[in-house]
Amino acid sequence: MTMQQATSSSSVRKAPARRHDTGRLMQETAMLAPAVILLTVFLIVPFFLSFWTAMTNQPLVPRPTPVRFVWFNNFLRIFQDDLFWTALWNVSRFTFWIIPAQCGLAFATALLLHQKLPLRNLLRGMFFLPAITSMVVVCVIWGTLFQYPTGPFNQILGFLSGGAIQPIDWLGDPQWAMFSLVLLSAWQAYGFQMIVYLAGLQGIPDELYDAAKIDGANAFRRFWHVTMPGLRPTHVFVLVITTIQAFKLYTQVAILTQGGPKSSTETVVHYMVRAGFEEQKMGYASAVSVILFVIVLVIALIQRQLLRRFDV
Amino acid sequence: MGKRLLWTLVMSSALSAIGAQAAEKTAIQVMHQGDPGFVAAYGKVAERFEATNPGVDVQFIYAPHDAYNEKFSAAVMSKQLPDVMELDAPFLANYVWSGYLQPIKPLIDKDVVDDMTESNIAQGTYPIDKDLYAIGLTDSSVVLYGNKQYLEAIGARIPKSVDDAWTREEFETYLEKLSKLDGVKWPIDTFRGYGIKTEWITYAYGPILQSAGCDLIDRKAWKSEGTLDSDACVDALAMMQKWVKNGWVVPQSAGTNQFFVEGNPAALALGGHWVYAEAAATMKDNIVVLPLPKFGAKGASPDGTWIWAVTKTSAHPEIAGKFISFLLKDKEYRAFVASQSGYPGLKSFAAESPLYAPGGPMAIAFEQASKTAVARPPHPAYPTITAAFMQAVDEVFNGGDPKEALTAAAEKIDQDIEDNDGYPPFGEE
Repeated sequence: MTMQQATSSSSVRKAPARRHDTGRLMQETAMLAPAVILLTVFLIVPFFLSFWTAMTNQPLVPRPTPVRFVWFNNFLRIFQDDLFWTALWNVSRFTFWIIPAQCGLAFATALLLHQKLPLRNLLRGMFFLPAITSMVVVCVIWGTLFQYPTGPFNQILGFLSGGAIQPIDWLGDPQWAMFSLVLLSAWQAYGFQMIVYLAGLQGIPDELYDAAKIDGANAFRRFWHVTMPGLRPTHVFVLVITTIQAFKLYTQVAILTQGGPKSSTETVVHYMVRAGFEEQKMGYASAVSVILFVIVLVIALIQRQLLRRFDV
Repeated sequence: MGKRLLWTLVMSSALSAIGAQAAEKTAIQVMHQGDPGFVAAYGKVAERFEATNPGVDVQFIYAPHDAYNEKFSAAVMSKQLPDVMELDAPFLANYVWSGYLQPIKPLIDKDVVDDMTESNIAQGTYPIDKDLYAIGLTDSSVVLYGNKQYLEAIGARIPKSVDDAWTREEFETYLEKLSKLDGVKWPIDTFRGYGIKTEWITYAYGPILQSAGCDLIDRKAWKSEGTLDSDACVDALAMMQKWVKNGWVVPQSAGTNQFFVEGNPAALALGGHWVYAEAAATMKDNIVVLPLPKFGAKGASPDGTWIWAVTKTSAHPEIAGKFISFLLKDKEYRAFVASQSGYPGLKSFAAESPLYAPGGPMAIAFEQASKTAVARPPHPAYPTITAAFMQAVDEVFNGGDPKEALTAAAEKIDQDIEDNDGYPPFGEE
C-alpha cells in the first residue's frame, strides 16, 4: 500500500520529467538487473530446483542407475521415518529451551550494558566476543569442559556441592545431551541478540523517560511502560530470528554428538545432511529441506500473527 | 620508493620463474587420510619419489578420516578427483560400481602385486569382475588385549591360539569377575570413544554379530531383512547392551585407550592392531594378546583397511601407479608402518615384521585373519549399510530395543538397494 502511494505521488510530482523517457527505464532496468539476476540465480532457481529434486531419487554423485521421478515418495518416506519425527521433536525442544535462555540472557545483558557503566564499550565487546568466535572453536572448547567424569564442569559442580553431585555425563547421557547443547548454544550466540536489544534500547527517545520521571513513574514502571513497548519491534525480530536459528541447529550436533546418544540430539538439519552426504540420497535430503522450509515459514507467520494480535 | 619497486619486480619475476618451472612438471594429486605421523611419512616418500622422478610433482590432498567419503563425493561433484586416492576397503565396491576407479594391476610393479597376501588381494578386489582395484602395504585386524595382572587375579584361562578362544560364557563370566576386581574401573574398553558415527562400529562390532551366527546383510540375496533383524543378531546386540548397562564397558565420553592409560582402569580392550604399539610401550610385559571370543559356533574377526587406488579420470595413471609402487617399496615408510604395529599385507613386509611372525606378540592376530576374518559386505550399498548399523548400535547402547533398532536398520538398507534397482549387476544371478 505505502509503496503504491509513494510511487503514485512521486509520479504525479515528477510527471513532466518522465514523459516518453525510455532511456530512464533502461537505466532503471540496468540498475535493477544485478540484484534480480543474483537473487534469481542464488535464491529463486535453487529454491525451485530443491522442490524438483525432492521429487526424484537423485543421488549425490552420478550413478549408473537412472534418476527417476518418484513424486511424493520421498516425503511419504520421511513422514514414516521415526528418526525424522525424533529430530523434529528434538529441535522443538531445543527451540523451546533456547528462546528463554538466549533471549533472556541477551535482554538482561543489554539492559545492564545500557547503563552508564565505566568501561561500557569494553564490556560490550567482551560480551559480544563469543558471538564472533567460530562455533566450531566454541564446540571444541566446550567439549573439553563437558568431559566426563573429570571435566571442569563436573569438578566445579563436585566442589561446590561438596561431592554431593555425581559427575554428569553431559554429552553422553540421552537425558542431558540436548540440555548441554542448549547451554553451549545460548552462551555462544546471545551476543548477537544483545546487540540487537542494545540498538533497540538506544532507539527509545530519552524524552519518554524524562516525561515518565516527571509523571512520577518509578524505575519498574518506566521499564514496563516505556522500555518494553519501545522494544516491541525488537522483541518480534529477536524472537523470529532466534526461532529460525534454533531450527537450523547443526554445527554443535555435528561436532559434539553426531545426533547421539540414542538420537537425543538428532536435528532436522543433521538428519538432512546425513541423508544427503553419508547415504548420498540428494532427492531425499532435498525433500527434508523443503519440509524444514515449510515448517519454519509457518512458525514465523504464526509468530508474527500472534504478536500482532497482542499489539506487540 | 625506487627500492621497493625494484624488489617487487625481482620478487614477481622470481615467482613467475618458479611458476614456469612448476608448469613443466607433471603433477599428480594424492588424496589421503591418516594421523600426523602417517601424513609426515607420506610427505617424505613424495620427496624421495620426486628426487628419483624429477619431472613429477606430487601434490597431497588431506581429507580427515571421519569426513573422508563426504570429501570424496565433493571431489566427484566438482570433477576434481585426484589421480591417486586412499580408500577404506569396504567402500571399494561402491566406488568401483559408481565408476571412479580403474583396475590397478597393469599400473603396479608386478613384484609388488605378486607379493600381496591373500587378505590384501581380497580387500582390493571388486567381487563382480574379480579385478584388483586397490593395493596397500597393510591389512588390519582386531584382537582382545588383556591386562595380565588382572587376568591372573581372576584366574582366567589364557588361550594360546585362535582355536581355543574364549566362549561367550567364559567371556561374560570374566567380565563379571573383573568388574568386582580392585583397580578395575571398567572390565573392557571397546573404544566407544572413537564416536558413534565412525566405521569402527561396523568394523569391530560387526564380527560379534557374525560370530553369533548372523550378518549385516544376506550375502547371496543381498537383502538385509531376515538377516540383520534375525534372532541371532538381536541376541548378540542385546548381549552387548547388557555389558554397557552393567557398566562393564568404558563409556564413550570417557575417551579411548583406558586400557593402557595410567592406572589401567580397563582390564580388557577390544582394539585394533594399531593399539598394540602404544599399549606395549606403556604396559611392557603386562599385556597379553588374545583372539576375539567365540560368541556362537564359530569365530569371526574383521579385516580391511585403507588402501591405494588410481581413479578413472587420472590423466597420468602410469605415474600414479608408479608412485603407489614406490610407496609400498619405500624402506623408511615400511619401517615407520612397522613401528606403528602395521598389520602386514605384503609377504615381504610380513617377513620384516617380527611382531606378527610365529611366536611374536601379535602372532595371534595374523593367525586369526587367516582363520576367521570376515570382510564387510562388498556391496555398493555399503555406505547405507554401515550408516544404518551405526545408528542401530547407538540406539541399543543407550537403552533402545535391539529388535526395533535392527529392524529399522534392515529396512533402511533394503530400501536403499531397492531405490537403486538392486545396484545391478549385484543380485543378478
